[in-house]
Amino acid sequence: MDAVHSCFKDKLGQAVLPGDVFSFAVSAVEDSAVRAEKVICGPGLRRNGDEILVCKSGILRHKAPNLYWIDSQQKRYVPVKGESVIGIVTAKSGDIFKVDVGSSEQASLSYLAFEGATKRNRPNVQVGDLVYSQFIIANKDMEPELVCIDSCGRANGMGVFGADGLLFKVSLGLVRRLLVPQSEIVKDLEKIFPFEMVVGMNGRVWVKAKTVQQTLIVANLLDSCENMTAQQRQTLFKRVAEGSL
Amino acid sequence: MRETPLSNCERLFLLKAIEEKKRLDGRQAYDYRNIKITFGTDYGCCTVCLGKTRVLAQVSCELVPPKDSRPTEGIMFFNLELSSMASPGFQPSRKQSSELLVTLNRQLERCLRNSKCIDTESLCVVSGEKVWQIRVDVHVLNHDGNLMDAASIAAISALCHFRRPDVAIQGRDITVFSPEERDPVPLSIYHMPICVSFAFFQQGTYLLVDPCEKEELVMDGLLVIAMNKHREICSVQSSGGIMLLKDQVIRCSKIASVKVSEITELINKALENDRQVRKEGGKFGFAESIPKERITALKREQAPVEMKDIEETADEIVREAEAPSEAVHSPVIVATGTGQVGEGLQNTWGLEEEDAEEEFQGGMDGKEKKKGTVCVCVCVCVGCAGFTHETIVQLV
Amino acid sequence: FVEERSGVGSVLREYGSEQNLLSKPDGSASFIQGDTSVLAGVYGPAEVKVSKEIYDRATLEVVIQPKVGMASVRERAREQCVRETCEAALLSTLHPRSSFTLVLQEVHDDGSLLSCCLNAACMALMDAGLPMGRLFCGVTCAIDAESQIITDPTAQQEKESRALMTFAIDSKDCSVMMSLTKGSFSVKELQQCIAVSQKASERIFQFYRDSVQRRYSKIL
Repeated sequence: MDAVHSCFKDKLGQAVLPGDVFSFAVSAVEDSAVRAEKVICGPGLRRNGDEILVCKSGILRHKAPNLYWIDSQQKRYVPVKGESVIGIVTAKSGDIFKVDVGSSEQASLSYLAFEGATKRNRPNVQVGDLVYSQFIIANKDMEPELVCIDSCGRANGMGVFGADGLLFKVSLGLVRRLLVPQSEIVKDLEKIFPFEMVVGMNGRVWVKAKTVQQTLIVANLLDSCENMTAQQRQTLFKRVAEGSL
Repeated sequence: MRETPLSNCERLFLLKAIEEKKRLDGRQAYDYRNIKITFGTDYGCCTVCLGKTRVLAQVSCELVPPKDSRPTEGIMFFNLELSSMASPGFQPSRKQSSELLVTLNRQLERCLRNSKCIDTESLCVVSGEKVWQIRVDVHVLNHDGNLMDAASIAAISALCHFRRPDVAIQGRDITVFSPEERDPVPLSIYHMPICVSFAFFQQGTYLLVDPCEKEELVMDGLLVIAMNKHREICSVQSSGGIMLLKDQVIRCSKIASVKVSEITELINKALENDRQVRKEGGKFGFAESIPKERITALKREQAPVEMKDIEETADEIVREAEAPSEAVHSPVIVATGTGQVGEGLQNTWGLEEEDAEEEFQGGMDGKEKKKGTVCVCVCVCVGCAGFTHETIVQLV
Repeated sequence: FVEERSGVGSVLREYGSEQNLLSKPDGSASFIQGDTSVLAGVYGPAEVKVSKEIYDRATLEVVIQPKVGMASVRERAREQCVRETCEAALLSTLHPRSSFTLVLQEVHDDGSLLSCCLNAACMALMDAGLPMGRLFCGVTCAIDAESQIITDPTAQQEKESRALMTFAIDSKDCSVMMSLTKGSFSVKELQQCIAVSQKASERIFQFYRDSVQRRYSKIL
């Protein structure tokens, strides 16, 4: 088992570049101790026969037991099935809405994909509205499709939103850090003042606090969290909390 | 490529925030973003960063004959380009952004040319024959709002920084000295006009200076005032079709004069710093302006390249390489006037035209028939009429 | 800077780069070699016009903007070289019917401009997170009147040289991906220049690695 993981081990936590190769020398000796193992390649790694190629530059990360991926910073979103994103409705044509999610193609959202929507009872969606929805089809060969209901037919938090509040864009790395369960950044922010937040995996974040000033403060703080270590962030938040009280 | 559309929620929030006198980045209504001016290695090259908006300007000169209507004046030429990297909406074909491009170019010309800030008479070398043409190229590298102000600051800083070659005139002879022979001469600049942009919201009720990109998308109208530090207005332009009251315009011009003097101060300081560094012989140019403390930047010193084994490696490669395939067969002459190089279908062109050629034989005797010319490019005209055939025969 | 020649070996001028310096493009980088400086911006994967889309791979567009004047045939030739190199390095089959746009702005030209463009392009593509199968770098060699090989020549050295060659070297097996040559030289000199470029490229790839290491060095 270590044969596979050992060639990853020395590079774990280090910067890897596209073109780096991890090859596993599969020994021809039949050994009962050697079992077939699975290695799951996450984003940034691709399989090429017996080798694993790195195709993005970043840090190699590992999650037990056998998941490896490349942690990289990126601004552009590529649709992935099952991810929830914030989209902006750009057109209403016939039975579908065209939604901009920041990727290379606009996604389509059927008007029946809302909770309680029927042919007679159309949802109230205007051009320019924000929708929080999930990808049901997202691969490189087809046009991405979104839905605002889950498999049981319930909205589950999805749909049109955001009458007040501010939408802004951050990098994909920051979004992933915000969506981690028990995220430190969110916890630190909550201590300053209460606010509502919707995070889309496409790098778009919507926040709303009691006043316009507070909303702007939250938005600017999130923007600046991009490149700050935990220490710097906590110092900054503390200063803001004292300033606003 | 398409720009991200502006959602209704963003628009409403921005307008609400402006009503409460709050801006997205925490500025006051009359504040400018941070301006950073850096100069390059050669004279006349300047980069301006206005917040995140980045603009590059370069001034160059050339000796040309003057315009007929003004034989004793030099020529100024301005060109502003919206680089495709500045925004996803700026395509290389320039169709979509053409309105913005024309507006910016026109405003830059009015600000700098019509205000007569450069002494064009001093650019004359020989009256009526040779004058200097000063060309200013401005490239917009990143669009985060207020391109006009950034472009005007970059253009005037580059013009102040520029040095043209020195000339000596003896009668009709003009000698242009290279920078090594004689120090280049700065341009003669009377004053420094700078554009200040004001964005209006809610039918002119609210006013913001130096709008960022999101604010530009929700504004109703734009007022651009070009002014110099002596409080002289060089040009005023209002777009968007909003109605402005007289005292609004006067208030704007007062704000503009304050801003312009601050910005002129900044430009002069940057020019002075650059002059100082050049005099002391220190390193200057964009290479020095790479921030060393950022984790996104890295520099390396000069490094020698190993050359030890290259002779042996090269020899080995040459030895082991296959010999090149046999030299090209000499051209096969099919008929007088046509040849064929390489292997392909049998060329029957010369054979077909043999009868037609006899008429032209007389004219051809005196000329040397060039053999061996590849006639591939000429094949296209095989079906042409007689007179064109003669031309083809001459070529071949 | 001091140029060493004849037998001891030539030098790569002082070089540096900065990534992610523009807010609008998806990836941006500025690369500086001595006084030559190029700024690169990348957008992608983004929408593509139906007339330009390719059904199974991404369309790559390269634009090189000179500092003074309009783009001419020389820029088009350079764009072709850069485009061919990038297409060989990018995994464009992962994004069919999309477009990658690479814009290179010449900020200052003091020799070796094409290799500076290639290096800036590679750093910008890495910064944008586009999937690549290999990295590439550009090295320029000049052969002067005394038949000495100079790497990374300045504009003055380029003018006085009898031959000028630019190679794009790939990171996997140090092989030549693209070459653009001007002037007259023998086969042996060509091979020597290629060998020198390969040696020089090792330094540049180490520099890429160090930059990426530094970029992700903060524990966030």
